[in-house]
Amino acid sequence: MIPKLFAMLTTLALATGSWWTAAAEPKLQVGVLHLGSVTDGGYNQAHAEGIEVMKKNLPDVEVIQVENVPEGADAERVMENMIKRGAQMIVAASFGYLEPAMRVAQKYPNVKFFHPGGYKRTPNMTTYWASTPEAFYLMGVAAGKTTKTNKIGYVVALPISFFLANINAFELGARSVNPKVETRVVFTGTFLDPGKEATAANALLEQGCDVLGVIVDSPITVVQVAEKRGAYSVGFHYIGVSKFAPKGWVTGVAFTWGNLYTRFARDVMDGKFKSEDILGGLADDFLTLAPLGAAVPKDAATLVEAKRQEFIARKAHPFQGPLNDNRGVERVKTGETFPLTDLRKMDWLVEGVVGQPR
Amino acid sequence: MAPLIRSLLSGSIVSGTPLLYATLAELLSERAGVVNLGLEGVMLVGAVVGFIATVHTGSATAGLVAAGLAGGLFNLVFAFVVVSRRANQLAAGLTLMFCGVGLSALMGARYVGSQIVGLPELRVPLLADLPILGPALFVHDALVYAAVPVAAGAWWVLFRTRWGLSVRAVGENPVAAFAAGKDPRMVHYQVLFLAGVLGGVAGAHLSLAVARTWAEWMTAGRGFIAVALVIFSRWHPLRALAGALLFGGAISLQLQMQALGVPLSPFLLDMLPYVLSLAVLAVWGGRARHAVPASLGRVFQGTQ
Amino acid sequence: MADASLLRDSRLDALGRLAAPLGRFAALLTIALALFAAVLVLFGRNPLRAYADIFSSTLGSAYGVSETLVKMTPLILTALAAAVPSRIWLINVGGEGQLFVGALCATWAAIHLDGLPSFLLLTIMAALGFLGGGLWAAIAGGLRAGGWVSETISTLLMNYVAILLVNFLVFGPWKDPDGVNYPQTVEFAAGAILPMLGGTRVHLGLVFALVATIVCAFLLARTRWGLEVRAIGGNAEAARRNGIPIERYVLVTMLIGGGLAGLAGMAEVSAIQGRLRPSLSPGYGYSGFLISWMAGGHPAGIVAAAFVLAVITAGGDILQMTQALPGSVVNILMAVVLFVVLARQAGRP
Repeated sequence: MIPKLFAMLTTLALATGSWWTAAAEPKLQVGVLHLGSVTDGGYNQAHAEGIEVMKKNLPDVEVIQVENVPEGADAERVMENMIKRGAQMIVAASFGYLEPAMRVAQKYPNVKFFHPGGYKRTPNMTTYWASTPEAFYLMGVAAGKTTKTNKIGYVVALPISFFLANINAFELGARSVNPKVETRVVFTGTFLDPGKEATAANALLEQGCDVLGVIVDSPITVVQVAEKRGAYSVGFHYIGVSKFAPKGWVTGVAFTWGNLYTRFARDVMDGKFKSEDILGGLADDFLTLAPLGAAVPKDAATLVEAKRQEFIARKAHPFQGPLNDNRGVERVKTGETFPLTDLRKMDWLVEGVVGQPR
Repeated sequence: MAPLIRSLLSGSIVSGTPLLYATLAELLSERAGVVNLGLEGVMLVGAVVGFIATVHTGSATAGLVAAGLAGGLFNLVFAFVVVSRRANQLAAGLTLMFCGVGLSALMGARYVGSQIVGLPELRVPLLADLPILGPALFVHDALVYAAVPVAAGAWWVLFRTRWGLSVRAVGENPVAAFAAGKDPRMVHYQVLFLAGVLGGVAGAHLSLAVARTWAEWMTAGRGFIAVALVIFSRWHPLRALAGALLFGGAISLQLQMQALGVPLSPFLLDMLPYVLSLAVLAVWGGRARHAVPASLGRVFQGTQ
Repeated sequence: MADASLLRDSRLDALGRLAAPLGRFAALLTIALALFAAVLVLFGRNPLRAYADIFSSTLGSAYGVSETLVKMTPLILTALAAAVPSRIWLINVGGEGQLFVGALCATWAAIHLDGLPSFLLLTIMAALGFLGGGLWAAIAGGLRAGGWVSETISTLLMNYVAILLVNFLVFGPWKDPDGVNYPQTVEFAAGAILPMLGGTRVHLGLVFALVATIVCAFLLARTRWGLEVRAIGGNAEAARRNGIPIERYVLVTMLIGGGLAGLAGMAEVSAIQGRLRPSLSPGYGYSGFLISWMAGGHPAGIVAAAFVLAVITAGGDILQMTQALPGSVVNILMAVVLFVVLARQAGRP
């Protein structure tokens, strides 16, 4: 009875899966770690879609993807397991994976690692990011033209330097076309708590904000709250989120990682990998400003486009002095700029932003 | 000032509503002598089933019903283990929590990022036009309006009906209740199903009304807060109303204060409700002990 | 001749005594695996392949085994944290909070005393971790001993306070000034990192855990102190009449339990994380409580149960790689195993 059952089970296993039959060897196995869900309409989905584009461009590449990997102890194990399963390239797609990735990278010098936003690296690791303040400045221009109450709200996960820089640039952009604009920031303290995000969004709307921006993993909640209450929204990370705000969409800046990931994978396959620190911007194909929504006044489009060209031509800078922070301390002197390569040192909020950069 | 009050009030109510339903769920179980640390899991199952049902039917009301049923049925797993198999309640509750986390993630994986029409906001005619209070109190979804009646109903059922009497009798002394001709196990099953329904509704309020999305582990600890809230309210449904409002208010207040630029550590503020609960118990020690159902943590084991 | 056969019989007997619970355990595990397999089939996955993946990734290689040991370490310690007080019927559900406070205290030492020689620094960190977690639990013990608040309730509530306290520190005063404002402390210096077993992440914490298990077993079974604990556990009223100071035992067992959870926190923050951050523990305190319960509070059983849960949780991410299942699905497997054990051991308080 028992052996018979076992035989049956074995046959079943053989029949249902390609368990023991190895598939044709792919040329390159890529392991990808995500902090959240790849359909979150935000940060994670942007990376996942980039990987999809890479797969389409390079059919020889096989991808092992793992979602919801906590930053810390588990990330290292996931990476090692990917390598044990044959991955020669690891994309550790969250900021908090930096040190786990570096530890694993030191252990496996032949595997190539890619980390978004990292500020240190190993000889087999490339860090990449797109500098977003210019794009946020442009969003600020569009939003500053759109707001009627001159109050804009931002729901932000954590007061991380890059996020503070984005908000500062946004406020500066908005004020460049509308000096009365004030940006209010609420930090939820976590990348994912939709209930809290909704409460924060409502609080901002109650205080008179009529445009909402959001920097958390999934912008869907905040964008939906804004749309429901007849307010406007600006997006971030993933371009597809505009479908949640058919009426109130202003614009959004999105990461389009596809071509970059394709290049990374091709370099690894061709043996041309070299460890770099890539910092892209508006001129690069992995940072996209979404088309302006119907709610935005017509003249905003020309302003945005003009400024965009100035940024690309390096004729303008989002953090052009003089700049004071919101406590009245001078941060950038007249005639100077805050270097975009130093964003991780930005720990203040610019004048006109209401909030605590803790 | 007026927008602040309005916003604070409205925010406290909206944040407090899922907490209230969850608290009432826990309170009912504990009144019958059963601690359920698995409420977090029940809420998650309610949240995800409600969301999925809404995606497929297009009706948030249908989603809500599905969420309540799913919560009730899921809690019956706990009831079976605890009542029929007489397992340790705390261990079974934590197990239920882990189960709910995994199950909801598995069911909801395909629905992250789906779009739904959530529970509609209903304006109460006339009242909604009152200054300040109107928009804060009378423009909400149906579950918010139902919160006070449900809490009052829980009080009424517990303290004014025969069934409530048997629930409390079972919670105080199951042997005596058995001797008086009640079947404690039947009562436990009924109470735990009802608690599951309330827990499922609590989760659905998050996914269908507040956030209108599904995300893995979106309850973010609210099921555990509810356990603390039951203690805070000393096992009384009407005090639970105040407790839920206070906890919801703490969440809302810290977000409000930030938006106004007032420096205040959100973490220290978040800590307050828990410390308060402990203080309430320690200070009212003697009286609180009377409020604790006497057989809490044990279930009826027959009359051997 | 007679002696020899007697010897053999008693050996057989011992074997039989060992085999019976093992057999029962295997039977329960089989039921649990079958139930989870049903869930997987329901969602269109191949359960046999899932199991093959889980077991081969955790037990099929030296690396897999090492990662299982890494997962086991905090689980053993947090299980002991619940098990020691449970001997006198105290219910410590506060392992999670005690772990966080232990990590917090150890972090204080790691940040502020980083000039000390490694051996000394690690000793201080471990001592502070133990003391922090222990005192945190002793608060609950004191509230209980004084007859104010049940320790079940207070330990549960204090979990949140502990986690929020850690959040407050890493978001505020302890935030790494060079870490892009990310909520985490500075990286520990090399001297504050527990030694690891060549090339793996198995760290000295595992030795802490095993030694703690043996010491607890010895203390409870072989000392006068353990005798009195057993007396209280057997009949508290009789023990009181015999002059055993129950209040002191409540405080001390809570202190030891909390201290062990604190030690788990110290080991995690030092060896695994290398800095304090809010995502320190995926619920080790709660899992530990369940393990202690599964094992009936017995030290050897705790190691075995911790092993089973470690295999399940460490095998979880493999299911994502091979089956495209959400990683938290292993929570279902863990819950099914626990439910089956819970339902089987009916009637235990």
